[in-house]
Amino acid sequence: MSRLLVPGSLRLRFLLAISLWVVLGIGAIWFSATGIFTKHIEASYHEELEVHVRELGRLATFGEDGELRLSRPLSDPRYEEPMSGFYWQITADGRKPLRSQSMVIGKLDEQIAHSPEILHTLEKGPSGPAITYGFTRPAPGGGDIHFVIATDQSELDRLISSFTRDLTLWLVGLGALLLATGLAIINFGLYPLDRLSQAIGRLRHGDAYELEGEYPVEIAPLVADLNAYVHQNAEMVAKSRVQAGNLAHSLRTPLAVMTDEAERLGETAAGAESSKVLLDQARAMKQQIEYQLARARFSTGQPYNARRVHLPEVAEPILRAMKRLHPDKRFLLDASQCDSVVLPLDDVDYSELLSILLDNAGKWAKREVRLEFLCDSSSSFTARVTDDGPGMSEQELSHAFEIGSRFDQEKGGSGLGLAIARDIADALGLLLELSNTPAGFAASVCFRSSEINR
Amino acid sequence: MHVLLVEDDPELGPRLSDRLRGAGFAVELATSRSEAEDWPDVDRMAAIILDLGLPDGDGIGLLRDWRNARVETPILILTARGSWQDKVEGLNAGADDFVVKPVRFEELQARLNALFRRQQGSRSNVMEVGDLALDPMTRTVEQAGKPLSVSKQEFRLLHLFMRRAGQVMSQGDILDDLYELDAERELNTVEVLVGRLRRKIGRERIVTLRGMGYRFEK
Repeated sequence: MSRLLVPGSLRLRFLLAISLWVVLGIGAIWFSATGIFTKHIEASYHEELEVHVRELGRLATFGEDGELRLSRPLSDPRYEEPMSGFYWQITADGRKPLRSQSMVIGKLDEQIAHSPEILHTLEKGPSGPAITYGFTRPAPGGGDIHFVIATDQSELDRLISSFTRDLTLWLVGLGALLLATGLAIINFGLYPLDRLSQAIGRLRHGDAYELEGEYPVEIAPLVADLNAYVHQNAEMVAKSRVQAGNLAHSLRTPLAVMTDEAERLGETAAGAESSKVLLDQARAMKQQIEYQLARARFSTGQPYNARRVHLPEVAEPILRAMKRLHPDKRFLLDASQCDSVVLPLDDVDYSELLSILLDNAGKWAKREVRLEFLCDSSSSFTARVTDDGPGMSEQELSHAFEIGSRFDQEKGGSGLGLAIARDIADALGLLLELSNTPAGFAASVCFRSSEINR
Repeated sequence: MHVLLVEDDPELGPRLSDRLRGAGFAVELATSRSEAEDWPDVDRMAAIILDLGLPDGDGIGLLRDWRNARVETPILILTARGSWQDKVEGLNAGADDFVVKPVRFEELQARLNALFRRQQGSRSNVMEVGDLALDPMTRTVEQAGKPLSVSKQEFRLLHLFMRRAGQVMSQGDILDDLYELDAERELNTVEVLVGRLRRKIGRERIVTLRGMGYRFEK
């Protein structure tokens, strides 16, 4: 849908208001102009006919034979052209009627002229309805001379409709021009809001830390308030992470002391049972602390974090660390399928996720762990960690993401890794899958979006 | 074996020291970054256990300083920071292992022994030199497959000799490894201990190099 036609948008509101204003304005101009023109042209027409009938009266004389004649033709040549729509007629009792050369056929009703005053009326003429003017004058030998002059009504109608057509065309053009100008003004006026919308988009997608750019005084305070909110939010996120770390320190160290005390208690015969209970509870507490703190770390930093995952760079320090942590295993990176990929994700959370999967693979691998970056299609990206370890049975796979699932008590760890990995994947909108493949046990993290930059 | 424990918690530090001593380690406790920084001969320690959250500075910085100064002692980070960001940073700064508190002592001991094994290029828990086999976790010694009874100090000395088999060690080196700095030290203690160990494993295994020290034969 065009941006103009989005229901409830400012653009649509402005467009409707401007359209209404233009239609009303142009309509009013059209009605006024055609009314004024019609009145003016009719008045002008009638004035002209009155002049012509007076001229006809002046030019009419009687010849030596006593017949009616004109001393010269009327000044308007249209009375000479056959069926031109302009006609005159002079009649007197007992004399041959005198008619204009244009009136090839038909005649005018001499009774139209029945008074010395000039009168006009709409009558049937030789070529249709005609505006007729007439008056009478006494004839020298008695009786009246009837002077009648007529012009076709269609001539006046033609002039008016021609003007109306031209006026309509011009006004339609003017209306279109005004609408186009209105649209340009809307776009110009709303451009700062468009920039603000783009700035918010960049902020949401992590391309910026705040709303960037200069804005008009009307919306600058709003932008300043939003930026203050964003900064406050970022500070809260950072503070939350620090507090999570502080909480970890303040809980874990006393728990370490309690664990030590419980172990010492276990060295005495009388305290063995109590020690076991305390150690079990301490382990459960440690598990909950780790799980909840991990969730607090990644779930607080989702919006407005302005972070990007640059691959394969993000994996390099993790792989170096894994080689130190599992020195008897080989860690291989294969980014040949899609080198230099940028994902719109929090790099800290994504690193945490990769680290958990690589460490888990390192614990179970016989000799080798492989990290592959696969560009499946234009909008899909997968990071796959494969190890050559024993893999998981179907039953183990179905419980793999449960908190505290440990399939080999000798491998160490809290049994939280995959549960945390799944929560991170969910928070980042990633699909985490575990599977036994011919190449070994694989953990795949799939990202689908149109925003993958290569 | 001499271990430097860098831990600022006034309760946990002494407790962990006691446990490590009980496991046969000679333990030095530093409670701040500055104290650890000034510790003499850290490169002669068998291992360093390092807390990251120290009151006067970050443990990661101290770790980097040690590695930049070419201190190659195995370093195990023992910290309350549990994120992988911290782990990756610590390991890439030069730590050999990373353990999050709280940890059962037996796991900590196992991780320390894994570091020692890694340093020696061995993948087995049991150290073997000739017909002698020493298991640091179970604290047992076997000779030609038969259990050998040794005292705590004899075990420590044998462990040191087996870790540095073929190398010459002075009496001072041995004292440094077996005893803490503030312990009373007498050189003849080493002579007495070596004599007792010789009687149990065979005189020919430990060669005296006059004016230089001792060498454990491979």
